[in-house]
Amino acid sequence: MMSLNVRPVLSALFRNRTGAILVALEIAIALAVMVNAAWIIAQRIQQMERPAGFDVRDTFAIGVAALTSRSDLGAAQREDLAYLRSLPGVIAAAATSSVPLSGYGQGGSISQRPGPRAPSVDERSMQVDESALAALGIRVIAGRAFSATDIQPLSHDIFAGAPAALITQSLARKLFPDGNALGKPIYGGDNNTPMTVVGITNDFMGSVWGSPSYYTVLYPQTPGSFGDYFCLVRTQPGKTEALMRTAQRHLAISNPDRVVIVAQTLEYYHRRLAAENRAVVIFLTLVTALILSVTCLGIFGLTTFNVSTRTRQIGTMRAVGARKRDVVAHFLIENAIVLAIGGLAGCTLALGVGYWLSDQYQLPRLDLRYLAFGLVTLAVIGQLAAWQPARRAAAIPPSVATRTV
Amino acid sequence: MLAYYLRLAATSFRRTPGLTALMVCAIALGIGACIVTLTVYHAMSGNPIWWKNNVLYAVTMDSWDPAQPFDTDRPALAPPQLTYRDATYLMTSSIPKHKAIMTQLLGMLSGAPGQRAPVPVMTRATTGDFFPMFAVPFQFGGGWDAAADRGPQPVIVLSHAENEKLFGGIDSVGRTILWNGRQFRIVGVLADWEPVPRFYDVVNNPFAGPEDAYVPFNWGPALQELPAGPSSGWGSQPVQSYQDFINDEDVWIEMWVELPTAASRARMLAFMNSYWAAQRKDGRFQRPLNNHLTNVGDWLQVNHVVNDDNSILLRLAFAFLAVCLINTVGILLAKFLRRSSVTGLLRALGASRGQVFCQHLVEVAVIATLGAAVGLLLGVIGLKAVEALYTAASAMDAGSTNYVALTHFDPIGIGWALGLAVLSTVAAGLYPAWAIGRLPPSRYLKSQ
Repeated sequence: MMSLNVRPVLSALFRNRTGAILVALEIAIALAVMVNAAWIIAQRIQQMERPAGFDVRDTFAIGVAALTSRSDLGAAQREDLAYLRSLPGVIAAAATSSVPLSGYGQGGSISQRPGPRAPSVDERSMQVDESALAALGIRVIAGRAFSATDIQPLSHDIFAGAPAALITQSLARKLFPDGNALGKPIYGGDNNTPMTVVGITNDFMGSVWGSPSYYTVLYPQTPGSFGDYFCLVRTQPGKTEALMRTAQRHLAISNPDRVVIVAQTLEYYHRRLAAENRAVVIFLTLVTALILSVTCLGIFGLTTFNVSTRTRQIGTMRAVGARKRDVVAHFLIENAIVLAIGGLAGCTLALGVGYWLSDQYQLPRLDLRYLAFGLVTLAVIGQLAAWQPARRAAAIPPSVATRTV
Repeated sequence: MLAYYLRLAATSFRRTPGLTALMVCAIALGIGACIVTLTVYHAMSGNPIWWKNNVLYAVTMDSWDPAQPFDTDRPALAPPQLTYRDATYLMTSSIPKHKAIMTQLLGMLSGAPGQRAPVPVMTRATTGDFFPMFAVPFQFGGGWDAAADRGPQPVIVLSHAENEKLFGGIDSVGRTILWNGRQFRIVGVLADWEPVPRFYDVVNNPFAGPEDAYVPFNWGPALQELPAGPSSGWGSQPVQSYQDFINDEDVWIEMWVELPTAASRARMLAFMNSYWAAQRKDGRFQRPLNNHLTNVGDWLQVNHVVNDDNSILLRLAFAFLAVCLINTVGILLAKFLRRSSVTGLLRALGASRGQVFCQHLVEVAVIATLGAAVGLLLGVIGLKAVEALYTAASAMDAGSTNYVALTHFDPIGIGWALGLAVLSTVAAGLYPAWAIGRLPPSRYLKSQ
């Protein structure tokens, strides 16, 4: 039965080829866009869902900078921390040189061998005191945390190493792929002074510029070498905003030797990290959905037009014995052929676009399962769009064939 | 005749209001999406000093680690900044018409009348040529001279916005203010100046807007202020002090020169190359010769100022517009063909092919104009939505992107988008209008 139907379908299709070609073209573009957009969306969602690794809620950061290069940041820091810890509702307060996810911070490269030629890994570093882990809610999963005696005094040497360091799990695995990093020396800064890995923390994102990274190093050193420091304050749930405002007001005037440059919750920075990705995801989804609906309208329009211009032929078909479902099948097969041609062209286009995207924008190569899924989706939606006009065609009575208008 | 065609078009729209609305909506959506992405893209990829594009050059020299390139992903590139040693040496050249070195410092402004607490301001530490070279407009006063650079003399230039904040917008030239606890004399106040992107500094966020204060470059070393923006080193030697920092191979200074002629460009490059050769003998510059003078447009491109997302979204919007237009061609073709008996009658009564063509083209043009108008409206709404989406996310954040400037509805970009819209829709209507005019009238008069 099927094979009998195809010939008249093909000849009908051939008579109105312009319309069919246009719709096939739409289908091809829609498929290429849909598949690649879905692929990009999947990457972005994966990026957005990467955990920050520290307690994003209930923590805020206050950044302070020296008014002049003569300001005594060490003394200011002790005073600020004592004040912050005295506030009711504050659980922990720590001083650091960098704020995770904020863009305030330092980075460098770290190596497992000394010397300028040793292969190295780019990292984000933080000078911290012994309370930083508690303020950020970071866990030590091997070895030990810093104690108060580990913390080196403030130094104006911005490359000064410390005798000890804490590194994240990912960085430990990267630097020492085949073994335990604990207790081993690592080299950063001037590349010659060894630092001992005393502990390994869970993965957490350091300060960002570019893409977020889990390669983070913590140094036990009083921050301030860069002319500024940050207080990270963990509060009881729900009190973060209010305590931040109080602290900001107090610190702004308590010491004329330094200036508050920023006060912000870590939750804000975390939201900001996802904002750009979220906007891209929204735009891609919206435009893809619109392209799909416009394409469906195109299919619907083409079938409707075909039905309305072929009323007499349909009547004749019916008069010579075609059943209603044969008429429906006729139009659906016709549509399926257009879909197949468009789909085939779309596959080529989708692969081309995917290749171009990965080449131009360093995106991972398109996963072929997305292409298969896109094809099936488009086929189903495309047939549904032709369904209604095809049913209307089936409703044309055989008597139409005998009428003239 | 035109009025008659317009009347015919109106009749046609009344007969199929749904189909007409559908076409207008599809075109409008396509154009709206294009306007949003084009505006942001246009702003990002703009060259705010295009009229000096071929005379302004960023100076780069590859002083980086012999063992590995500055950017391992793009090993051919020299670092975008210079070391202190190289920048100060290149500044001794008299070849450029203007020359400036610069970096970003964090400054604390205090001591303005009625000011209670010091305010942090991003400060550009630069040399006097910065202002004439980049054609920076002044509201009051002006920049400073070479003597102020050498001193350095305590002179400062404030942005329009900062002068509004601290002095209520009055002419504050001649007054003193404390910058990082030191007395500085205000010599100039800028007029409203917002180069998008901030082409002269792409190392920091190029969409963050210009700095609020400007001081002579030498104040950085004199007060041992570390740059607020990125500085990169490769650990060529231990850095124990500020002196070590500025003597080391750390790159942290941007340098721009104005070279009006090809001859002066060649001389400048030769000057850089001979310096490179001399320094190489002393053991520096062990990487291959990679000295560059890059004009503004290339500089923005090389440094990837337009982010990838925006160019992907721009192309997506164009793909969408293409689908919308193809759809319109299909609908128009079907619509015209269905009306072919009327057209046949007109032809039989003496309408020429050209007249039938014109009549249909007028109908298409009306749809295109309606679509473009609605699309413009959608585009404006879309831009507001993008602005809201981003601004909410980056509020109160110093150094963050100024999305208001990026989503600014600029007339040139919009003109382009609209022209494109009307043109492409009319082009889409050409084929159906032509196809219908080509039909022999007899065929459509015979039956039905």
